[in-house]
Amino acid sequence: MTDARTMPAPAADSATLVRVRGLHFSQGRRKIYDGIDVDIARGKITAIMGPSGTGKTTLLRIIGGQWRPSAGAVEFDGVNIHKQRQRGLYALRKRMSLLFQNGALLTDLSVFENVAFPLREHTRLPEAAIRDIVLMKLEAVGLRGASKLYPEELSGGMARRVALARAIALDPEMVMYDEPFTGQDPISMGVLMRLIQSLNRSLGITSVIVSHDVEEVLSIADFAYVISNGQVLARGTPDEIRASESEYVQQFLQGRPDGPVAFHFKARPLADEFLERA
Amino acid sequence: MRGGIFSVLSDFLSGLGRAQFFLLGILRAVPGALLRPRAIIRQLYMIGVLSLIIIVISGMFIGMVLSLQGYHTLVRFGAASSLGVLVALSIIRELGPVVTALLFAGRAGSALAAEIGLMRATDQLSAMEMMAVDPMRHVIAPRFIAGVIAAPLLTAIFCVMAIGVAGGHAIGVELLGVDAGSYWSQIRANVDVHDLIQSCIKAAVFGAVISWIAVYQGYHAAPTSEGVSRATTSTVVVSSLSILALDFILTAFMFR
Repeated sequence: MTDARTMPAPAADSATLVRVRGLHFSQGRRKIYDGIDVDIARGKITAIMGPSGTGKTTLLRIIGGQWRPSAGAVEFDGVNIHKQRQRGLYALRKRMSLLFQNGALLTDLSVFENVAFPLREHTRLPEAAIRDIVLMKLEAVGLRGASKLYPEELSGGMARRVALARAIALDPEMVMYDEPFTGQDPISMGVLMRLIQSLNRSLGITSVIVSHDVEEVLSIADFAYVISNGQVLARGTPDEIRASESEYVQQFLQGRPDGPVAFHFKARPLADEFLERA
Repeated sequence: MRGGIFSVLSDFLSGLGRAQFFLLGILRAVPGALLRPRAIIRQLYMIGVLSLIIIVISGMFIGMVLSLQGYHTLVRFGAASSLGVLVALSIIRELGPVVTALLFAGRAGSALAAEIGLMRATDQLSAMEMMAVDPMRHVIAPRFIAGVIAAPLLTAIFCVMAIGVAGGHAIGVELLGVDAGSYWSQIRANVDVHDLIQSCIKAAVFGAVISWIAVYQGYHAAPTSEGVSRATTSTVVVSSLSILALDFILTAFMFR
């Protein structure tokens, strides 16, 4: 394990499905990324970790072409995502999917119709085939029995599992998971972890997982990045990340409030605020 | 002071420009949306059928009030038999399209903006984009088309309710004793087919403008509860003012 700031960016090769180079991104005056390089290996599980507010979800949206970087390039299978017109971008998006943190299910459709939605939009499959595929996907996430329910009748965790079934409906090459384990009970979390692993191992689906659940994610990831303050702090295999000598990484992995990553947002001393006259 | 005015004017013009590009996007998505009539029919139900009650009741009362006011003015000049034409022309040319549009903006426009704003806040539109489904074609265009179709139909229903048996006729003929024959024959003799066409054109333009404003405000709402609330309020305020201004412009062109 090497500190990322002293380590050269990985060399480009055909085993890389997504290649991010020199990514700069700002929201208003706040700089989210300051020239990061990230590689997502084809057919592997890559974890993106880091404290809240470091822009992990932002990275997924940039890779999905929803947001444009202020500088830098993001390539999916050698194609620069942000140089595509709508038709080209949509062709790339059919090969990837994003599992949103809140599920983002279409509220006017039932669970069944939500999962069937991408199939109806992008295939000409007969209704019987769509039904079989939807039931298979729902079975995989344990919610076949909920197919007639509407999103407002689901718990947050169930909604995210339905969203996962929808995300894999078209068997994409890559699935990006935004905090997939948040709000899941231990049983559902275990099932989801096994499902992500089996999708990766059996179908070769490339997975990108953004999560705070450090141990769970590192237990299934092949490669991991730790991001903070607009920089990649560390990159490596889970074992390399765990063995990191970087104080930043160890503070994050062990959840310590004190360390180089400030728990408190930048502020004046508390005593000054108390003594300030109204 | 000059800087402030310049900044407000600049914000207004850039907002108008963005809204026009958005309208071009909607118009580009319309042919694709027309291939999926089920989505349009569903929206016609949501914004048209569900607005019927407020339109019917308002039409009735406005017809009744107009008949009452008109009768007491006309009777002074011995022209009570012209009550029908007064009610009919006022309703068909002006009150029908304008009041229907104002009610439509309050009932359907606000609902459209809130629905789309919430879809934005809950990432439903982003999810569609990530599934390579164009929200303009799937969500925005069907609602816009439904608005353009629903507004003239609701205006026609409003006019029928205001002039007909439950509105102007009920007060003028049944209550105040104007002769039913002269009430209806005056309408037949003086209401031109051009009046009906112009009323329909006004209603369709108002419907298009309200739907445009509503979907634009909803689509660009900040993804917070306050953002959705602002989008809803802006839809009603901007739509109402636009309707009144457009009504003047359209009337000036139609009755030159």
